[in-house]
Amino acid sequence: MKNQLNEDHLGRIWNWRITMVAGLILLSVALLGVSFGPIGLSFPKIIKTLLGGSNGLQGQERVLLLQLRLPRVILAALVGAALSTSGAVYQTVFRNPLADPYLLGAASGAGLGATLAITSSGGNVYGLLPIFSFVGGILAVLTTFFISGKFFAEPNSLLLSGIAVGSFGTAVQTYLQQRHSSALRPVYSWILGELTVANWQVVKWSSLYIISSILILISVSKQLDGLMLSDEESFSLGINPNKLRIIAVAAATLATATAVAASGLIGFVGIVVPHLVRGITHRVTNRSLATIAMAGAAFLVLADLGARTLLSPAELPIGVITAFVGAPFFLVVLRKRRVTQ
Amino acid sequence: MIQAKDLTVRIGERTILNHIDLVIQPEKWTCLVGPNGAGKTTFLRALLGVLPYSGSLTEGGVEVFHSQKRNVAFVPQQPQIPLGMSVTEYVMMGRAKKDGWGRESIAGRRFVHKVLEQTQLYGLHNQHVSRLSGGEMQRALIARALAQEPEVILLDEPTSALDLHHQISTLNNIELLKERGVTIISTMHDITLAAMYAEEIVVMQDGNVLLHGPAHSVIHSSELREAFDNRINVFTLDSGRPVIVAAKENLI
Repeated sequence: MKNQLNEDHLGRIWNWRITMVAGLILLSVALLGVSFGPIGLSFPKIIKTLLGGSNGLQGQERVLLLQLRLPRVILAALVGAALSTSGAVYQTVFRNPLADPYLLGAASGAGLGATLAITSSGGNVYGLLPIFSFVGGILAVLTTFFISGKFFAEPNSLLLSGIAVGSFGTAVQTYLQQRHSSALRPVYSWILGELTVANWQVVKWSSLYIISSILILISVSKQLDGLMLSDEESFSLGINPNKLRIIAVAAATLATATAVAASGLIGFVGIVVPHLVRGITHRVTNRSLATIAMAGAAFLVLADLGARTLLSPAELPIGVITAFVGAPFFLVVLRKRRVTQ
Repeated sequence: MIQAKDLTVRIGERTILNHIDLVIQPEKWTCLVGPNGAGKTTFLRALLGVLPYSGSLTEGGVEVFHSQKRNVAFVPQQPQIPLGMSVTEYVMMGRAKKDGWGRESIAGRRFVHKVLEQTQLYGLHNQHVSRLSGGEMQRALIARALAQEPEVILLDEPTSALDLHHQISTLNNIELLKERGVTIISTMHDITLAAMYAEEIVVMQDGNVLLHGPAHSVIHSSELREAFDNRINVFTLDSGRPVIVAAKENLI
């Protein structure tokens, strides 16, 4: 018998209910994030405080929520959203499933900037560190573009330039560390990622760049699917591939540099989260970018919760948690995907 | 109507298309033939609008370079195959020009469903394109082009790397476009198949157009043999259909 189909059997390319579910998960995880810690805070009181109602948290608990935990959870969410969205976009633009947000030298540029800040400012590192690492990350990516010659004529040349710039930055960074051995510990701690510096000021400036970058990426997300084809094919479908790549890489780089400046180098998020979302939804379309952003935010809020509570009162570097939890989870999803395929 | 006037394409120091004058009639199947390096693929890419050129190359009187107003489908010889994308998603991308990127209108989905049936891809619609065989992938490419409802379709060697059965089914699928009034321009190495399906044939050599005319007259012309350095033989079957084969060279 002929296998009859109608258009309903085709399945929708993207279902916005998935995005709404991701949003609900993020809200729940954020609530967990502000509630748990060495001092537990009750959910109803947290909600009442946040909604400005009476009978909310008072005294030290109120300060703990509003001045310490809330900015930290929001910063973790922002950084997670930035890294996961940038990772997904880089994977599409470079047609490489292993591309991550640090691909074009942003990580080593930011690392070099942070090392310069730490070695040149003595003990007062946090005043300069975010600025230095942000500028370092952006300069490294611009250098990558500059030395790759024709911007996107050959994405692989850009990739190789990124590797060269990354190696050079790391080499200079290592040299500086050797010359200033006292900087080794703070630099190493920064490399592993940290959210201990979170405060409303950091949240304010980082949210400006990260949210605007993510909104730009979501606004072009539908067209980004066209970049999975050859340039000729995407052009025939109404896309200017080079223009779209420049917009996408610029926005993803801005988000990455901001995330790195705010929280150091947190690995694995940019690769794990996009693949997780694609693996669970069985969709590779970039219409999932909003979902990937929210899943990345939830992932990092959870990882930070683990970093704060597992060895409480001591803290684990968040990068250790993301890799420790992310790697096995990632392998399970990969295996499941292979079986389904 | 597509018109090339004094069309020249240079890539670096090399001249790939050399002062070409050519008129291609709308709603017909025109096939570009010629040896490797004749400039066939370059002509298609210039016509798509992605290659800079000197002279003039117009479609409906509009210069084609970087023109996004036209609806031109392109079927490459070696497509970039997106990992993890299903056949439905892949074919649905063809609707981008008509419906807008990411819009899934009911009419668009109905059209894609019809196209999947026409190209015998039903049953494979949830399969990843990266896991399709060569023949199935070619059908998916044609299905995407059909879904695009183009005015012009450009096909670069649509039958290369396909067995005889799949060559015929692919060409039959392309003929569906002709019935819809689409202008078809393809390159093809197999001149016998080109003569079977195309109405017009353009013979190219070294970036020049040697001859352009109705398929039956071009096939028996001396220019065609000349383009291939007289290394082809043309036979006529009892049905009157021409068959072009490579001439065996006597090396001893």
